[in-house]
Amino acid sequence: MNKTLLIIQREYLSRVKKKSFIVMTILTPVIFAAFYGIMIYFSIQGIKGTTNKIAVVSTNKTLTGQLKPSRSTSYVYVKSSLSEMKQRLKKTDYDYILYLPEFPLNAPAGIQLLGTKQAGLSLSSAISGDLENLIRNQKLEESGIAQQDLDKLNSDVDIDTKKIGEAGQEQDSSAGASTAIAYISGILMFMFILLYGIQVMRGVIEEKTNRIIEIMISSVKPFQLMMGKIIGIALVGLTQFILWIAFTAIISTAVVKFYISKTTPNTTVTTASAEKTNENKLLKEAAEKSPLGNIQKSIANLDVTKIVSIFTFFFLGGYLFYSAFYAAIGAAVDNETETQQFMFPVMMPLLLGYSLSLSVVTNDPYGSMAFWLSIIPFTSPIAMMVRLPYGVPDWQLALSMGLLVIGFIGTVWVASRIYRVGILMYGKKTSLKEMIKWFTYKN
Amino acid sequence: MLSVNNIVKQYATHRALDDVSLQVEQGKIFGLLGPNGAGKTSLIRIITQITAPDSGEIIFNGQRLNSNHISRIGYLPEERGLYKKMEIGEQVLYLAKLKGMSTAEAVKRVKYWFEKLEMGSWWNKKVEDLSKGMQQKVQFVATVLHQPELIILDEPFSGFDPVNAEIIKNEILELNKQGATFIFSTHRMESVEELCDSIALIHHSKKILDGPVAEIKERYRNQTYWVEYEGQFDTSSRTDLFKVLQRDIKNGKTTLKVQLAEGQNANKLLAVLLPAVNIHRLDEVIPSMNDIFIDQVKTKA
Repeated sequence: MNKTLLIIQREYLSRVKKKSFIVMTILTPVIFAAFYGIMIYFSIQGIKGTTNKIAVVSTNKTLTGQLKPSRSTSYVYVKSSLSEMKQRLKKTDYDYILYLPEFPLNAPAGIQLLGTKQAGLSLSSAISGDLENLIRNQKLEESGIAQQDLDKLNSDVDIDTKKIGEAGQEQDSSAGASTAIAYISGILMFMFILLYGIQVMRGVIEEKTNRIIEIMISSVKPFQLMMGKIIGIALVGLTQFILWIAFTAIISTAVVKFYISKTTPNTTVTTASAEKTNENKLLKEAAEKSPLGNIQKSIANLDVTKIVSIFTFFFLGGYLFYSAFYAAIGAAVDNETETQQFMFPVMMPLLLGYSLSLSVVTNDPYGSMAFWLSIIPFTSPIAMMVRLPYGVPDWQLALSMGLLVIGFIGTVWVASRIYRVGILMYGKKTSLKEMIKWFTYKN
Repeated sequence: MLSVNNIVKQYATHRALDDVSLQVEQGKIFGLLGPNGAGKTSLIRIITQITAPDSGEIIFNGQRLNSNHISRIGYLPEERGLYKKMEIGEQVLYLAKLKGMSTAEAVKRVKYWFEKLEMGSWWNKKVEDLSKGMQQKVQFVATVLHQPELIILDEPFSGFDPVNAEIIKNEILELNKQGATFIFSTHRMESVEELCDSIALIHHSKKILDGPVAEIKERYRNQTYWVEYEGQFDTSSRTDLFKVLQRDIKNGKTTLKVQLAEGQNANKLLAVLLPAVNIHRLDEVIPSMNDIFIDQVKTKA
């Protein structure tokens, strides 16, 4: 059997069989799903809210009986006086008392909101908004504008963003959805490259500190050992990625189904009041209009297979590009504490690519900064993934992929020359200068 | 079986091997000696193809050393190491397969060796759960498993208790009997005398001495004898015959270390002593490899 294959097999199996791998693989999607579930939960809660029952004590003739219930408040005009209500409040099921004294419409004053608990900012602003609307309408009516004319003034504006595809066809898109996908893939890419790159480094250091390296090198070439390790760990990464996608998909679907089944009115139950059905319909509409619903819709419109396969390519490319550096670092040091000085220069471009991608590129996905970041192999895996949901011309994608392939062949070549010398060096503190010298050694 | 011809290995500022040549004969145990940092490990790494020489060549069974020979060489480095988290059986199999053995063959051989060295129950244990001596045994098995023709052992007995060292020594002798050639790199001169057929001494990157052990010892015989007697004898009377290197008188017994003059022999010494004293003992001082080693390293320093 081919020796490199044997090494790949060992590197892969020894990692996949580890408990930490299994735990990470299962736990991460659960955390993702929980996060997703909480987001949905709160967006629904936000829509539904809790309704505050407010007793309105009004001595103001113009405003009596005019306040309409809104999303978070329901107003009930009571006949009792303010002092009576104050005493009785605890015994009633009202949450607050709203006191409207007599005042000129031009200068509303003396309005009070009383309750056993302090009213929140959102409640008081909702009530003041309701009052402002009411007073404005009153004033308009006073100036002789009819209610029908007022209704005509209100119009609902809803922008439907559509992207025109290459063949001129319209595609549903959402800036929010693209940004979300861009963020997620950018973060994932950064995490994956860093996580698995460091695993390569640890593996090399482990072989050095265990002193098994000499036995290995007397059986296989250093290049075979390095590549076996890099490829083995790449396969571990892919396995984890695929399992994550599968688990996340399963769990998310379950979570979404759970919420939809809860919010969709059951039509067979005739006892459901008309009001309740209406409320549910409203909720559903609101959920669809919320950013989350939009994102879900847009995700359905994105070419998921394309994104996943391009992600896989850039993950492999970016990982190979960087893991070669990590292998060289691992070979140059005796233990992990010594890695710091070399880690920084390797992390820098990755970190830079990450932060620029998530700020500059998401703001201006077609700008020249975005272009260059997504072409240069040091940053392209992250930057390209961030750009992808906004749409990238095929030639740019091809150029970036091509350069990445050339890039990783280059880094693997450079790293292997440092690696073969470094792995047999013990007890010396290695400097960057020394590593460059190793590079120039002939076999 | 192995010819090392004019090997030079240069590291940046340090010449690790300077024109080293030596011959290892088929079926023999060859000792590679030298103080720390002399260049032994550099030479071994070249023979095991871990590194390549700057100039010179190595001939293995008549062929220039190449990667096809990897599976025919077994190497036990001085710095022992195994994958700590890997199970013993799996690990030894892995190393054997890397040497080009088929899985079935490797399993058979591992079972044979584990049985032989009473390691049968270790198969599923992890390396980190074994004692140091046990790890050494595993490492030894991994070295010889693929039935190499040439086995290179760097300080093979370090870390073994006397019982296990004896077991390993017997295994080495048995393998040697079956035809395996050994190269030993060691500081332990008693094991050199016990095991090695010939040696090479490397010092300051150069080979300063080589040949069969018996021959070298013969070469270093220098007419020195221990003499022990009772009675009085004036040693200064026969300076033409010998000179006294060391003298020790205890309980009326005299012990001398004498060196005979050129062209003289022990018989003549006895002839002079016999009439005068009661002789208890006379034996030749044959230099131990240890003496030769120290002498060589000191004089060439």
